[in-house]
Amino acid sequence: MRLPAGVRDWLPHELARKRDIELVIRAVFGRWAYEEVQTPTFERFDVLEKGLGHELTEQAYRFADRRATALALRPEMTTPIARLVSTRMREVPLPLRLSYVTPVFRYYDQPQEGRLRELTQAGVELIGSHGIDADAEALFMAIETLDEIGLRDAQFDINDASVVDGILDGVGLSAEAAIGAKTWMKERNIVALRTLEKPTLVEFAMTRGGRDAIELARSVCRTPVSIQALDRLSCLLERAGALGYSERIHIDFALLRDLEYYTGFIFEGYVPDIGFALCGGGRYDSLLPRFGFDVPAVGWTAGVERLLIALERRGKHVVRRRQRIDVLVSGSDVVAARERAAGNVVRFASGEVEESALLEDARAHHIPRVVIATNGTVREVFVAPEAETRLPTQTIAGKWEAK
Amino acid sequence: MTDKLTIAMPKGALYDAAATRLREAGIDVPADPGRRLAVTTADGKTELLLLRPSDVPAYVEFGAADCGIVGKDVLWETDRSVSELADLGFGYCKLVVAARRIDRYHEGAPFPTFLRVATKFQRSAEAYFAERDLPVELIPLHGSVELSPLVGLADAIVDLVATGKTLREHDMVIVDTIAESTARFVVNPVRFRAKYAAIVALLHRLNATSAKT
Repeated sequence: MRLPAGVRDWLPHELARKRDIELVIRAVFGRWAYEEVQTPTFERFDVLEKGLGHELTEQAYRFADRRATALALRPEMTTPIARLVSTRMREVPLPLRLSYVTPVFRYYDQPQEGRLRELTQAGVELIGSHGIDADAEALFMAIETLDEIGLRDAQFDINDASVVDGILDGVGLSAEAAIGAKTWMKERNIVALRTLEKPTLVEFAMTRGGRDAIELARSVCRTPVSIQALDRLSCLLERAGALGYSERIHIDFALLRDLEYYTGFIFEGYVPDIGFALCGGGRYDSLLPRFGFDVPAVGWTAGVERLLIALERRGKHVVRRRQRIDVLVSGSDVVAARERAAGNVVRFASGEVEESALLEDARAHHIPRVVIATNGTVREVFVAPEAETRLPTQTIAGKWEAK
Repeated sequence: MTDKLTIAMPKGALYDAAATRLREAGIDVPADPGRRLAVTTADGKTELLLLRPSDVPAYVEFGAADCGIVGKDVLWETDRSVSELADLGFGYCKLVVAARRIDRYHEGAPFPTFLRVATKFQRSAEAYFAERDLPVELIPLHGSVELSPLVGLADAIVDLVATGKTLREHDMVIVDTIAESTARFVVNPVRFRAKYAAIVALLHRLNATSAKT
């Protein structure tokens, strides 16, 4: 009766907490005018493969149907959405704002807390918009989302893939050497980077800062593309400042996510006490063209289970009481239907039950009212609540406490 | 956020050298932690976790420790996502393929197909032979790997060698060196950012002491 490694059940109280987070996230997505979409859980592997990088392709659960068509469970949502947009939504005026909150599947070699093989991703894609406004929208939305679920100390590191290319070019690495160097930058493998004998590169891999970091990069970057990227990062810092985010955003030139994916802006969000990133994303202008639709896109995604871990480690989540039941009804479908029509949560007592047993049942489940129908007569009994111990109610956002 | 650092320390062969280096970098590491698993330094600024070397990468990857000291050989075997910030230089050893001299092996000798190889370093051994397209039968062992060719369990071994004394004692020769290992200062990628100032300060002090020696 065991579950396979890397998947889990969600008991009512656990699922309630997860749903609360999802509710808050969907509300933020809605306020930014994003519309939710859904795609199939599995798709043709050859289609997904077009969009997935090497690592995600390796991690995809693959199988064949009875006609031997190669299929895969989606390991992320960006590629399915790119497929959806480039096939079914080409005529829709751009930019498109789409969101999702949905399970994805990845075969991690070593599944663990925060790295389940079935995980829930909540994210957005802003398609058809290049330029800094779209990058800023993705970043500020992510900050707002983490704020809303109660992680107000979340930090965000930002970078741009073009800046890294500019730095590698600026220190005089050949295109070939730059590929390896990029992987080492991503891993922040300083020991390996030192073997290239480019001290400046090591300095960049160790730099994390604000305007000072941008100025440092300006002294090395020569390509127009990288200089424009630095201007954009600088502008982002300024706009973030106006929103009061200055202390929470840092430039980190070694922040590189999936190398085959991101073409420009990149960011990641985390909290100091959890050792893995909670959300991340960036610009991937080359993805939709792979599906024959030449439009730019930016997006980000958060791991719902990871957010849950972050909140639970801090004891900061909604401690939900069991579902409230308003009335226990016995003996009449009609009475029960009327109670439900009145908006009450109704529990129907099955079978013929003694009144004393009904009252006991009501008391045990904190049901304040019992309605007993027998032979055409209807009696209503109010049950005095036992002294109950209530758990302290903390809200996930904290902001609801005030209300 | 407090800048208190949690450092994962390897017990065993690397402990003394690691403790000395951290002490030179200003961290008050006890000479003999005894049976304790976690020690907070007198100034309260650092917590040391005393772990089996092979467990250090997992502690750092999950952020149970912010950073740690561990041999490169362990990093090969565990394949965890941690950032290597410095080569601390001590704890030198090399991972080699060795076989019995009596079987006419010598340095650079070719391997036959379907070699039987005993090792504690399964991942590294697998990668080495896969790169060379050599089908081998790996026999994972937990200790006394040198014994296995002598009693006919394996044709060759993949093992760590520091001085080569054990190999000589068993009349074995190094056929190929897979890689060389030294102790590394590793850090959790997220903590690098979250505790940037404290980690960079420690790294500079560690690098400064290595420049001295």
